[in-house]
Amino acid sequence: MASDIKRSISLYSYQDEYYDGVLDLEGCLRETAKTGTTGVELLAEQMIKKFPKPIEDEEFRAHWFEMLKKYNLTPSCYDAFLENRIYSNRTLSLGEQVNMMKRDLRLAGMLGFPVIRTLVSTPMDVIEGSLEYAEKVNVKIGLEVHAPFSLNSGWADGYMEMINRTGTKYFGFIPDMGIFCKNIPDVLRDKARRQGASEECLKIVDDAYAQRVAKGFVKIKYDLDLGKANMEYRMANGMKEMMDAVEKAGGGPADMMYAGTSFTYSWSDPQDIIDNIDYIFHTHAKFYNVHEDYVETAVAIPEVVEAYKKAGYTGFLSSEYEGGEHLRDVGVDSIEQCRRHQEALRRAIES
Amino acid sequence: MAARQIYNPDGFKNIAEDGKVTGFQFQFKAQYYRGITLSILHNISVNVDGEDFPREDISITVNGETFTLDQALTVVDSDYRWEFGEFAAITVKKEGGLAAGKHHIKSVQLIVPSYMPFPIEAVCETDFVIE
Repeated sequence: MASDIKRSISLYSYQDEYYDGVLDLEGCLRETAKTGTTGVELLAEQMIKKFPKPIEDEEFRAHWFEMLKKYNLTPSCYDAFLENRIYSNRTLSLGEQVNMMKRDLRLAGMLGFPVIRTLVSTPMDVIEGSLEYAEKVNVKIGLEVHAPFSLNSGWADGYMEMINRTGTKYFGFIPDMGIFCKNIPDVLRDKARRQGASEECLKIVDDAYAQRVAKGFVKIKYDLDLGKANMEYRMANGMKEMMDAVEKAGGGPADMMYAGTSFTYSWSDPQDIIDNIDYIFHTHAKFYNVHEDYVETAVAIPEVVEAYKKAGYTGFLSSEYEGGEHLRDVGVDSIEQCRRHQEALRRAIES
Repeated sequence: MAARQIYNPDGFKNIAEDGKVTGFQFQFKAQYYRGITLSILHNISVNVDGEDFPREDISITVNGETFTLDQALTVVDSDYRWEFGEFAAITVKKEGGLAAGKHHIKSVQLIVPSYMPFPIEAVCETDFVIE
């Protein structure tokens, strides 16, 4: 089946090389281009020093567009952080938050990005208050749908109601493929082993995960108190029973780490993508470990990409490597991981 | 490939003012994936060889400016962010500084990104030598 799905890499993926000083912003763009991808996603606060000042500078922007031209890259998505608790004694007022969102929309547009990623913690009225401006600067707002959140859920319904009520074309979703994990990433399991986890406890956690996948995850509710919503979600998905079993099996800190972290992954039916395709502006193709044979051990890439193809998606699938955080005691190679992941995406898209 | 480096191995030293040793200094990188406005850095605790140091005796230097931890809570200027991948220098008051020889440090970074339901508590430990 022919498909117009485009590929991109989020520079988030190269964070370990950037942290070590092995790659700078241009180095990340160069590596991105080398994989054969055409899109680039940026976290301005990660790789643009003295954020947001340089983006206001014409010379900086000229250099940015020169680099994009040099490496044949198209801006896909700008990841914004609404720092609404920038002061420790209060949360920013609604007006202040809307102004911050407008700032990010403007900055994204100045760098050529058609979409900004906003986070689940962004209050609904901040999004609603920014829609007119988003239309004015022609930059869409995409809400990241990151585990434990999911589409076709009470949480997503709240946003659908807003979309329908306002008729906006400037707000939609950015699914993160961490919501399509069939397994717990092997790099996490191996890290737990290095830290002394027992095979018995790992099996309890893996079995519990397999059960959640088989039964279907109980979905999270809409609540601005994210800590509370998350805890209710975990309990509804059998966290207590699993933790008790791990404890009974003599689980230590490494086993507990593995058990707790298992709740940061989830499995949604890929049909959710097809059902919501009109509201999907961009996609974080989250991944954890792609082996030499181009198989991702946690995210069901072929199955999920198939759903995108069926839905007629024409946006970007943007590689977002997150396995590095489990390899920092032994060494990370994001460059090779991104190369493999792009190849896995290409095969799935073109097959 | 090697494990991630958190501390600058060349950053450990005693600090002198007017010929008197008043404390010690070390440098490390924020254990988070983006640069931060200093105001979301809520604490840095320091323990060397089992000794804790009071919060008011700890300050942070980024881009040539030094702030106490309380002052850092109100720093939102974009010139004074703790940039991703860059060392910040942490200065701790201690009369006479640290003795020459081997030491062990445990320092915890408390970073509070607005979107996270729980703060980041990054425990950073290493052995080091004061010449």
